[in-house]
Amino acid sequence: MRLSIYRFNPESDLKPHMQDYELAPEADDKKLLDALMRLKTIDDSLSFRRSCREGVCGSDAMNINGRNGLACLTPLAGLKEPVVLRPLPGFPVIRDLIVDMTQFFAHYHSIKPYLINDTAPPERERLQSPAEREKLNGLYECILCACCSSFCPSFWWNPDKFIGPAGLLQAYRFISDSRDTATAERLAYLDDVYRLFRCRTIMNCTEVCPKGLSPSHAIERIRQALVRESS
Amino acid sequence: MRLFLGQRAWVLQRLTALVQLFLLALGAATLLIAPPLAYERWYALATSTHGAVLIVVFFATLALHGWIGVRDIALDYVHPPFLRLAVLTVVGVILFAIVIRVVLTMAAHFAGGA
Ligand code: SF4
Ligand code: SF4
Ligand code: FES
Repeated sequence: MRLSIYRFNPESDLKPHMQDYELAPEADDKKLLDALMRLKTIDDSLSFRRSCREGVCGSDAMNINGRNGLACLTPLAGLKEPVVLRPLPGFPVIRDLIVDMTQFFAHYHSIKPYLINDTAPPERERLQSPAEREKLNGLYECILCACCSSFCPSFWWNPDKFIGPAGLLQAYRFISDSRDTATAERLAYLDDVYRLFRCRTIMNCTEVCPKGLSPSHAIERIRQALVRESS
Repeated sequence: MRLFLGQRAWVLQRLTALVQLFLLALGAATLLIAPPLAYERWYALATSTHGAVLIVVFFATLALHGWIGVRDIALDYVHPPFLRLAVLTVVGVILFAIVIRVVLTMAAHFAGGA
């Protein structure tokens, strides 16, 4: 198979370039990540992140033939050749396919991604009814791969101020948690022309999420909660 | 300036859109049901109390809706603070002038008692 991969070495390159590769995948190379791992045995200077190799850690997000995805979840079969691999769009490149996620995680931390509840903790645990637990489905599964934020035009224009789909999906995960008591503060933080309202419902985020989640839907629910809160 | 921050601008944008939609539908219905083909009919329609108020409301909501839209575009693409302020001010003044012009025209008509 043929691949064309974005290469950039900050120590020796002034500009990035695309490098072509020919690779003969073996029978048990099923996913794009398998091919990349094999490629690395040929050219060990090629750099990319990966860890779990099964769609759980979120570290091998990249732009595959123009679309963000996880290499480990992308089947080799059916990929148009040459397979063009680039780092996540809109993120600063550190080296080859590795991007700097500092800002992405700063946004994530800004929404306080943990349960806030000032009441005295019960002896064992804070219980939820099945219906309350049900509300977290489609939210808690996010693996913070950044495929969505990196595919969001609003995030490209204001990456320093717009929280982005991943952070907003996480924000809604805690807003809708029955055990969390900081809903009003969370909403007040999000009621901002940049943090939340740069989203234009372009829905690239939902289209591209490799876990099948819908950040744009979560964002819509935050807006509804804000309207309810202020009326 | 809380009025134009975050949520409220977003709500206003939607409310003005709804008003616009309603007025456009009303206008289209008027044209279909009783087309004012002659100038006198147009004139009478526009200068009736209802007509005048609706025309002013139309232009006012149009200006507000347009300004919020331009503001959104400026927040996305126009990053230097001075340039952004300039764009928002120029567009704001133009839209405001249009509304004032419409109000004055209507007021002149009613004051003149034509
Ligand atoms: S919402 Fe989906 S695409 Fe976005 S970070 Fe979470 S798992 Fe990745
Ligand atoms: S729906 Fe909002 S967050 Fe998602 S891609 Fe569009 S602008 Fe970005
Ligand atoms: S390697 Fe962990 S998600 Fe792909």
